[in-house]
This record gives sequence, C-alpha cells and structure tokens, in this order.
Amino acid sequence: MTTEVSPPLPLPNELTTPFWDGAANGQLVIQSCNACGHLQHAPEPICSACLSFDLGSAAVSGKGTVYTFCIPTQAFHPYFADKLPFVLAVVELDDQPGLKMITNIVDVDPDSVRVGDRVEVTFNPLGEGFMLPVFRPISQ
Amino acid sequence: MSKKNRVAIVGVGYSDVSRGTGYSLDKLTAQASVAAMDDAGIKPVDIDGVVVHSFPHQFVSSTHTAAMLGIPDLAFYSGNVDGAAYSVAAMHAIAAIESGSAETVLTLRTVHKDGAAGGAAMLAGGGGKGIPGNMQFSMPYGSFTGSHWAGMYMTRHMAKYGSTEEDFGSFAIAQRKFAVANPTESFFHEELTMEDYLNSRYIAKPLHLLDCDYPVDSSSALIFTTEERARDMKQKPVFFDSWANGTTKEADFSLVGEMTHSSPFMAADRMWSRTSLKPSDVDTAGLYDGFSFIAMQWFEALGFCGEGEAGSFVRSGATSATGSLPTNTDGGACNVGRRHGANFFIEVTRQLRGTAGDRALPKKPEVGVVSNAVGGFAACALLTAD
Ligand SMILES: [Zn+2]
Repeated sequence: MTTEVSPPLPLPNELTTPFWDGAANGQLVIQSCNACGHLQHAPEPICSACLSFDLGSAAVSGKGTVYTFCIPTQAFHPYFADKLPFVLAVVELDDQPGLKMITNIVDVDPDSVRVGDRVEVTFNPLGEGFMLPVFRPISQ
Repeated sequence: MSKKNRVAIVGVGYSDVSRGTGYSLDKLTAQASVAAMDDAGIKPVDIDGVVVHSFPHQFVSSTHTAAMLGIPDLAFYSGNVDGAAYSVAAMHAIAAIESGSAETVLTLRTVHKDGAAGGAAMLAGGGGKGIPGNMQFSMPYGSFTGSHWAGMYMTRHMAKYGSTEEDFGSFAIAQRKFAVANPTESFFHEELTMEDYLNSRYIAKPLHLLDCDYPVDSSSALIFTTEERARDMKQKPVFFDSWANGTTKEADFSLVGEMTHSSPFMAADRMWSRTSLKPSDVDTAGLYDGFSFIAMQWFEALGFCGEGEAGSFVRSGATSATGSLPTNTDGGACNVGRRHGANFFIEVTRQLRGTAGDRALPKKPEVGVVSNAVGGFAACALLTAD
C-alpha cells in the first residue's frame, strides 16, 4: 500500500494562469507582447524587449531542443521520492532564439538523453486538474 | 572632485562553526563580529557602518546587529537578501568607504546549516497553498535546490567542451589537499582519490555529493576601513585593488543565456578593466565553490585558462600550493563549511598579510583574487599585500 503524497502544485495568478489554462487544454502557452511580439518565460508584468505593459499570450509550436539537463537522484520533496531518477532539463523552444523553459524529458531512458536532442511538448497530469507541459523525444 | 579612498581589510573573524551550534543567527553574528574587532584591535565605537547579507528566510538585520554590539551611530548600513552572498556585503562596504559615506565598516555573512535548502522546501511543502510566483515554473518539475541547476551547468559544460566528471573531481581532490593541511577549520581530514570522488553518490547526475559545499552554522565577519585609518590598526592592511559585480540579463539561474559563460565573466571583465594588474600577476585565489563547477567557471572567467580548459588547468597542478595559482588554500567551503563566500576573502587576507601560520604558501603572495557566486549574479575582487 502506498500513501499519496501531494505534488508541488502551482498557485496561478493573473500572469501565470494562461500557461496553466493552456496546458489543461493541451497547448503550450507562453506570454507574448501585444506591442512587439516578444515571447517571454517566465511571464512578467512588463515586456523586457520594449517595456510595453500590453501583454497577452500565444500558443507556441511546442518543439524545441534540449539545452541542458541533469538527473536528480535525491528527492528534495516527498512527491519525487518514487519518481527517481528523472530528467530535469532546460529546453530551448523553436519559436524564438534563447526562449527557454525548465521542464522534464519523459518517455526516455534518462541516461540516453543528450544536449541537442530534438523534443516536443506533451502533457502529464500533475494533480487537482493541473497538467504539466513536459517534453519527449521527437521520433525520427 | 575628491579622491576616492583606498579601502583596506583590517580585521577578519569567524563564529563557532559546526553542523549544529544550537546558536541563534544573532549569536553567531555577534561572535564573528567580536572576533573580527579583536583581530583589528578596535572597539564598536570605532565602527560607523554595518553591512549584512543573509537569506530572506534567515534574515539578519544590520541595524539590530549594530545595536547588539553597542555601536552608537551608523553612517552607513544595509541588510541585503539579494545577489552574490557575502560579496554583496563586501561591495556595499567598499563603495561606502571609497565614497566617504563611512570610514570603518563591519561586513557579515551568517548562515544556518539548512539555509540553502530550507526556503525552497518550506515553500513547496507547506500547507497545500500552492507555489507562488515564478517558482511554479520550476518546482513542479522537481527543481528545488542549487544542486539542480548546478547539475545542469555541469552537463552544459561537458556537452560544449567535452569536459568530464573527472575534471570536476580533479578540483575536489586538489582542494581537499589544502583542507587536510587546515585541520582546525576543515571538517575533512583525509585526502581524496578520484575513486572516492566518482563513488560519492550523485545528487543530480553529473553532480556528486563531493561537488557540494558542506552545510554548517557559521558567521563570518570582515572589517574594512580607509588606508589612513588602517595604518593605526593592529594588523598589516590588505588592500582592494579593484572589484566588480556582474549579472546576466536573465535572473533565473536555470535560464541564463549561456550557462558556461555566466555572470563571473561579466564581473571578471569589469574587474580587469579597472586595474593595471593582469591574470599573470595573481599569486593566489579564493574562488567560490558552493559547487565545484563554480570555481571551475571562475578559472575560465578570470582568464587563468581558456574557456572549456579548467579541467586541464587544475590537473596540471596549477592550483596546488606550489603551482602558479594556489587556490582555496583554506580548503574551500566544500571542506571548511558553507561561509557563502566570506572564507575566501578571509583566507586570501590571511595569506597576503602573512598570518596564515602553518598554511603560509611557500612563496609569499602579493596579489590575490577572490570571487563569489555564478549564474545570474557574481562578484570578484583583487586584493594586494601592503
Ligand atoms: Zn514588447
């Protein structure tokens, strides 16, 4: 018998809600500047490219490249205790040079992941209706 | 326009340090402050500035510290929770003295053992309220501590330059040799082999346990003053030749533009632009080792070797006692415990003024470099003997 441990769940606010709502609908949604089109993650109250406060969000391609990763082997939160080892990664999205997000690489042997691997978004249930955008290798 | 004051380090001191002192942050802070005042041969009434850096969840107040010590009136103070650990306190104090805002400034970094992990774990674990702010884009993925970004920085370097776990291990091994020669401060007393390093468990592969600084309760204090006042104090002064901060455009350590070329490069370039000294003039280094890869990035950032070459630089023996750049001669924070950068300022000061005792380097150093942090923010400084 196992005891369910609550996952670390987000507390969405007006800036972060589009990301979590998008994920619940199966889309990777990133903050987008209505004035200049700049994409930024994590979302902020101002566009760092043009200083506009007129910010929206956009569904992006969901494709990207593994910028780097590590393989945690110690749980710093009880939710991850039975999920070790896993792949914690930074993925650079195709949609804008340098646009990166922290994520997991899933559906893969952790030791086979390499920097530069092509990946695409997929969604894993996190709990309480939240879906977590994660990435898996793009099959050749 | 008035001439800038030349800034000297005149006193250094530590609190009791252990895995669990049972002492409050305030008591540790007071212990280190008294030790530094004793070292400098001054009294609280001689101090007119206090600068503290602390974790937000382990806040230590500069004004309360002054009150606790009976310092009558502060011309300058700041209590910081942002940026490159101890060096933030150092940089504020240097700026205050250079500008004439204060004359004699007590700088401090106090930390309890669970400091680095505590904040994140509390936020994620507590009460089911959910993760606020930008941490909701990292914690649900299992990114909680520095070890997680550190592992990712190492992977990036390995992929870009072909460096290996053995490269990082070579640093841990070289640094441990100094620790063995510093038995009163080091928590570790046996030399390391590469096998020991590679067999130490992974925390976040490729990051090994032996890549991590050693969490302790500690407070570190240094006292800075003007050259003029330094001449009347007990110790030989050590001078700041130049100093600089640097940051990356992105604040999140995991999302900086290029992990192998992060804020240490910005700080180092700025520091070298402010001095006539060159890397070849530096005789000893104290480079932050919250994780061993950080010190490795500093070798590259400061120009002691080329980018991607830190592993071969360390393996050449350059960082040993008899090498061209003896580095972390107290043993580093992996061995003397987490002092969050302050130990490097203290140890390089001791070497430059000739109070390192048994650990005095075979060739008395005249110029030293110290550094703190990596990723989003970093700082470094050049110190010179009198
Ligand atoms: Zn914009």
